[in-house]
Amino acid sequence: MTQTTTSSTERLVAGRGIGGFGERHFKYTVLAPAIFILLLIGLFPLVYSLIVSFQRVTMMSADTSFAGFANYAKLFADARLWESLLHTAIFAAIALPLELVLGLAMAQLFLERMPGRQVFVALLVLPTVISPIVAGANWRLMFDHRFGPINQVIGWFMGEPTPILWIINPLTVYPAILICEVWQWTPFMFLILLAALSNVDKSLTEAAEIDGASQWRIFTRIVLPAIWPVMAIAILIRGLDLVRLFDIVWSLTRGGPGTMTETISYYTYVQGFSQFEISYTAAMAFLVVALLTVIVTLALKRMGIAR
Amino acid sequence: MTSAIARRRARLALRYAAATIVTATFVFPIYWLFMTSFKTPEEIFASPPQWYPGSIQFQNFNVLFLDGDAIAVWNSLVTAGISTVIAMFLGTLAAYSLARFKTGGDNLAVWILSQRMMPPIAIVFPVFLLYVWLGWVDSFIGLILLYTAFNLPYVIWMMRGYIGDVPLELEESAQVDGCTRWQVLLKVVFPLVRSGLFATAVFTFVFAWNEFIFALVLTRTEIVTYPVQVTRYFGGQSNFWAKIAAMSVLGTLPIFIAVAMMQRYLVRGISMGAVKG
Amino acid sequence: MTDVTLSGIHKRFGAVHAVRGVDLAIPDGEFTVLVGPSGCGKSTLLRIIAGLEEADAGTVAIGGQVVNHLPPRERNVAMVFQNYALYPHMKVYDNIAFGLRARKVAESEIGERVKRAAGMLSIGNLLDRLPRQLSGGQRQRVAIGRAIVRDARLFLFDEPLSNLDAQLRDDMRSEIKRLHRDLSTTMIYVTHDQIEAMTLADRIVLLRDGRIEQMGAPLDLFERPATRFVAGFLGSPAMNFVPARLSADASVVEVDAAMLAVPAGRRASLAGRGASAVVLGLRPEHMRRFADGEQREGVVRLGVTIELIQPTGSRTYATFRLAGVPVVAELQAHDVNRPNERLDLGVDMNRAVLIDPATDRVL
Repeated sequence: MTQTTTSSTERLVAGRGIGGFGERHFKYTVLAPAIFILLLIGLFPLVYSLIVSFQRVTMMSADTSFAGFANYAKLFADARLWESLLHTAIFAAIALPLELVLGLAMAQLFLERMPGRQVFVALLVLPTVISPIVAGANWRLMFDHRFGPINQVIGWFMGEPTPILWIINPLTVYPAILICEVWQWTPFMFLILLAALSNVDKSLTEAAEIDGASQWRIFTRIVLPAIWPVMAIAILIRGLDLVRLFDIVWSLTRGGPGTMTETISYYTYVQGFSQFEISYTAAMAFLVVALLTVIVTLALKRMGIAR
Repeated sequence: MTSAIARRRARLALRYAAATIVTATFVFPIYWLFMTSFKTPEEIFASPPQWYPGSIQFQNFNVLFLDGDAIAVWNSLVTAGISTVIAMFLGTLAAYSLARFKTGGDNLAVWILSQRMMPPIAIVFPVFLLYVWLGWVDSFIGLILLYTAFNLPYVIWMMRGYIGDVPLELEESAQVDGCTRWQVLLKVVFPLVRSGLFATAVFTFVFAWNEFIFALVLTRTEIVTYPVQVTRYFGGQSNFWAKIAAMSVLGTLPIFIAVAMMQRYLVRGISMGAVKG
Repeated sequence: MTDVTLSGIHKRFGAVHAVRGVDLAIPDGEFTVLVGPSGCGKSTLLRIIAGLEEADAGTVAIGGQVVNHLPPRERNVAMVFQNYALYPHMKVYDNIAFGLRARKVAESEIGERVKRAAGMLSIGNLLDRLPRQLSGGQRQRVAIGRAIVRDARLFLFDEPLSNLDAQLRDDMRSEIKRLHRDLSTTMIYVTHDQIEAMTLADRIVLLRDGRIEQMGAPLDLFERPATRFVAGFLGSPAMNFVPARLSADASVVEVDAAMLAVPAGRRASLAGRGASAVVLGLRPEHMRRFADGEQREGVVRLGVTIELIQPTGSRTYATFRLAGVPVVAELQAHDVNRPNERLDLGVDMNRAVLIDPATDRVL
């Protein structure tokens, strides 16, 4: 009798578990809708792109015959594509270190408490939260060679009017975009690094001070390693944003003069929505995804972000 | 003794000077934007530039409302607002599953985060073709769904962190006290992560509000959002700067207000939870 | 009638086999304490009873009903957690009423029951406060109040006192004991503190590595431990273990050069092992200063040199060396006055335990 009770209970346990069907599957029930949407909008387009990238679809012809790697081969011969990749790399390589160093310096400046610090910090946040489109538009106004305040200020320092054609002159267009970019995102670095620095255990630096270490040594040997994990994440977030750079280029230069400031995102857009090279755009999009996937995977692995 | 105090005072004064210069530099472009929106066309196109408008006048804004262009702000509000509500609801539920049951382990969590890192340009084209097929181009439902998907990874990732901060004991206690899983969520978890929910919602809203590529591709005339509307003035008639500035201010003010309300959570929000601040 | 029966309980967490086959029958109304070092599986066992963990194998029955498949809310048990688990966003009143509301008890009745529970724990004046405005002891009372207000058929305590300071812990211990006397509900209490176990329990279940090492009434376990582990776990200061040899006829335990006679009554059960190595287990209170001319059955004289003295006021703990290991004796306050003093101790061999070093079982 006892024997049968036990075995039937065991079956009960194996079959239903605590709380029966409803609660057993609760964790999937609450997860499912979000995953469904992510698959629909995140994964489906990628799969679709992958398929189309092996076909010959353009605006003119819905030619879905198999093109093999023709579109991918075309990528390698497309000089404008490689230039846009180079432009993207240049923006990232200059903007990221600049934002990091400026952000760190500003964080140091505001690290010690001082009355009114909250107000300064609150004001400094503003550039980061406004739309990049608005930022680009606003800087275009600021850079205007006649009505803009930038040339005016430079003129004061030079002692004579200096009509720099910021976004038309090939020499100044990169600095113009970079200034806008660094203006908008240095506060982002600043905020994160300020928080990270504030979280550094005071006793660590004090112990080093007692041991007679110089300020510079304390900073490089103790403070930097302590904030590195946070810094790494900030670099990753900003780095990925820079690889995807699109908005401020759109509103500041439209990729010009000529194609001088086209980024990879911008060029992909042009191919897709001006030229309607559907299959070719799909291949290009895939190149971008592959590139980012490699970067993200490496970065996540190296930084151990996936707690 | 007194010299030490004097030195400290001098140091503080120096830091104030530096802080003021730095802050002024970063705030100046925003000042310029707001001032431009109040200027008359003559003042905007004055050379040398005028550092402040002769009088605060709202003509530039009036034009936007008279033209009907201001509807773009409403469109942004609808898309960003509704997509935020949906993303918050579904994302928080998913985050609860990830945080409490470790559903899918770290792999699923990282996959979801990596969705956040995907370049919009890579998915916007196939989504556009899909929407053409579904008839969703230039419709609220299309853009809302897209923004929901776009923000879900962020919501899940952030709320996973906030929910992880709720002591497990509280939930267990509620279970023993007689709550179902859903009741535990509603009566214990949600109230305890309320501020996290709020902060995450504000960020989600801001991301959707400021988004450009999707809106550029997927809107035509009906639901143009404000960033797209701003870019439409480029190269227009002579007073286009007035419209750009006014539209930008309309689109920027709500964000400033939202961010001001949640200063405390700002760092955790923008660092994707890396800094608990 | 709320008896609890566990049979053949197993629980694994990945590679860790936390509970390895526990069978336990707890009669109605008993105060049972699960005690053991950290990682022994005691909390897991409690959580399995509560329904917060699911057993990999075995059955849990509460009041004769198998509850394996029931979620915690349907088991009608109340639980007090280590960190109190008070809902920080609710006032004390709402915290206590939470379980009643979840069970849809009428508001008027809730008010009455909350007041009664609050009265029992003298927290009636705290009902309008938030948990963060309470001291640790007050929070613990609220947590207990939340449990008793429910009239649950079984109370579970998971190390409820471990976050309190020593004085409060003593107070709350007697409070819980009084509560059990008044309510006479079945209670299962988990702790790693052997004093809590000894003072509270009707019955102690001592766990080690996921298995029951020994169970029984506190004094039974204390006086008749089955294994070296039990002997060492209960009692403070802990029992001293000294390597020794038992003579072939079991008449004498040989430690260093000293010969300690085994009381005649115990020899029969020990004989038959032949001459063998044993571990002599002596509690500090099994030794006292030997009075000249004292002649008591089973008390043998042992000359030692005291190395260290630790007076506590009422007692003095004296450490000396025996067979190379330090041994602590609990003496009267003035029995010994300075280190290096030579002293004759009387060792009560009636109460000493002998342990087989090969199996660690008490002989």
